[in-house]
Amino acid sequence: MRLAAFWFATLGLAGAAVAADEDKDLELIPKSGAAAPREEVASPISRGNQRVFLENALTFTTLRDNLLVPQPPPLPPSWDERLLADARLEYPLAPNAFVAYSGRLNFVLQDDLGFPNRGNVNNDLRELYASVEPSPRVYLDAGRINVKSGVALGFNPTDYFKTFAVIDPLTADPSVLRENRLGTLMLRTQRVGETGSISALYAPKVTDPSPVAEDPYRGFNPLFGRTNGTNRWLVKASQKLSEELSPEALMYHQGNQWMFGTNLTTSVGQSVVAYLEWSGGRQLGIIDAALAFGRETGTIPPLVPDVITQGGDEHFQSQVTVGVSYTTENKITFNLEYQYNQAGFSRSDWDRWFALGQGRPDSSPIVRQLWYIRSYANDVQEPLQRQGIFLRADWVDFIVPKLELTGFVLVDAQDGSALMQLEADYARTDLWTFGVLAGGTTGGRRSNFGSLPRSNSILFKVMRYF
Amino acid sequence: MFKTIFFSLLTMYATSALAQSAQEIVAAADKLRNAEQPSRSTLTLTEYVSGQERSHSAFVLFSKEDSAGNFRNLLQYVEPPRDAGKRVLLDGRSFWFFDPASQSSVRISAQQRLVGQAAIGDVLTVNLAVDYSAILLSTESIDDAARQKRTCWHLELRAATETAVYNRVEYWVEQGTFRPVKGKFYSDSGRLLKIIYYRNYIERLGAVRPAESVIIDAVDSTLATIAVFNESRFQEVPDAWFQRDYLPRLQIR
Repeated sequence: MRLAAFWFATLGLAGAAVAADEDKDLELIPKSGAAAPREEVASPISRGNQRVFLENALTFTTLRDNLLVPQPPPLPPSWDERLLADARLEYPLAPNAFVAYSGRLNFVLQDDLGFPNRGNVNNDLRELYASVEPSPRVYLDAGRINVKSGVALGFNPTDYFKTFAVIDPLTADPSVLRENRLGTLMLRTQRVGETGSISALYAPKVTDPSPVAEDPYRGFNPLFGRTNGTNRWLVKASQKLSEELSPEALMYHQGNQWMFGTNLTTSVGQSVVAYLEWSGGRQLGIIDAALAFGRETGTIPPLVPDVITQGGDEHFQSQVTVGVSYTTENKITFNLEYQYNQAGFSRSDWDRWFALGQGRPDSSPIVRQLWYIRSYANDVQEPLQRQGIFLRADWVDFIVPKLELTGFVLVDAQDGSALMQLEADYARTDLWTFGVLAGGTTGGRRSNFGSLPRSNSILFKVMRYF
Repeated sequence: MFKTIFFSLLTMYATSALAQSAQEIVAAADKLRNAEQPSRSTLTLTEYVSGQERSHSAFVLFSKEDSAGNFRNLLQYVEPPRDAGKRVLLDGRSFWFFDPASQSSVRISAQQRLVGQAAIGDVLTVNLAVDYSAILLSTESIDDAARQKRTCWHLELRAATETAVYNRVEYWVEQGTFRPVKGKFYSDSGRLLKIIYYRNYIERLGAVRPAESVIIDAVDSTLATIAVFNESRFQEVPDAWFQRDYLPRLQIR
């Protein structure tokens, strides 16, 4: 050590020249950010998990007028004005227990809704539950809970509680759609261990399942028919195998259906994360599942025959998302995913769908059945396409700080049609955010996204946080 | 001839001693910046654009050193209101971001933790001596953030592990006190990304430690962030907290 000190001294003489260049960096220190007094100051953390905001969103939509298969009414409104009061709150009951609430109150005006109208006000009760930790890291939860699974961004095959849970989405971005979705009434227990976790939940049937069509006059109805129309349970467990790998396994049961799933992620170098999400089980194709649900809920009369089918029998089918995320030095994060839904439409399913509906009026029972299938797929958050490519980019501090640019494109790999969206959000201050969002679909008249009535839309929004 | 051999051996030995000691300097500075026991702090970040305060954020940070000397960090945002409740887990090479709005946890890369709401890699507890190998460049007299002259070791740190955030770091540590004064952080391509000044040394977590870091964006030098540690205290932090499935369960009352 003495020798080292000698050499430090020697080097010190050699480098004794004052590093004048370094002192220029001091000019970059904000003058108004002078060092705090030499004592610690308290900062409030009372907000905790809570978030409250008001949002106003005005949307304009243009529709296609040359659809091969016309969509029965109601069509998407040409304009839609929403004032939203959104809250996520927690109230502690004891040091190891709390009650959580999450919900949104909507004031809605639309071109075809009228005012005043009982459809002008409705409320989404997303979550209301109690949670207790009876012993360290053992949890019991009861109430309406939003349970989310999966590691992918664009399509989550293992997110079993996504079905019928999304209502009144203001965006088509699948990674954001989860933000205003309904939880499910359930009992849940979880144990978080040192290197893994296991949880089990049971969601009982409390009412008959609701039809697919969204009720614009739902008011303050909690819509349990969308989330608790059947008995369901889920067990999932994760285990840390190495610093890189913590796989998760899932087992899900609904009615007489069993599903199994897994989630895997790993980092590759400094900038890349790779992920795989798989779910499989015996199930109907999306067409047969939709028509069976339509009959169960009375939307499709019992005596009306199925106009289209994928065979009508259950067999083992898989859903897979495999993807990578990549972040650049310029603060852009790209996600590229391949999505596979074996239960989705094959090319021949599409051919039959268009052949059956082409040239028929929107009042035709056949056309109604064809569009019911698509509404069902949208409601259960399953891709209609069998194979899709999803690319999303998120650019933080685009041009100026606090301006975030987000865009995605979802391409049907079979027909090349696409769903696209570009969004810019500017956090003007810590409390105010302004945004604009433009979306659209492209593709031929006989394609997945090119046959949708909604062509383009633009949304302007302002948000005030409290 | 003997002279040459003698000086060659002396130089080799001295170089070895220097390399060892440069690493020791960085380790000693690490111990000043970070407590070795598990702790909880509140960290406030104030961002400036052209010297004007632009935004403010705060989060509660839980830190714990693992057996290899790496810090595991778990944090939750409490400000600004739009980010309240968002959580980030930084554990070795495993980084997760949790958003309570969507109830979803997303794995992020080492690069992604430096952008957006996860842009906290610079100010979190990190042991540079673990992730970087250091050599001594020279002794220099530079001004600290308060424009006081400090005689410093000027060190160069090269990334030695995959968990190192930056490829290269220039680091100035005050002689005698081992207080870190300043750091310059470079990307893989050699681009200067950040300049950090450590200042406001106060009694915190059982020792005199820097309570503030001034982080200057070297790419856009109009941008700067001041990070301040508050409400620091030792607290038991179970290992079980440092995994994805614990993120939704974190309570910071």
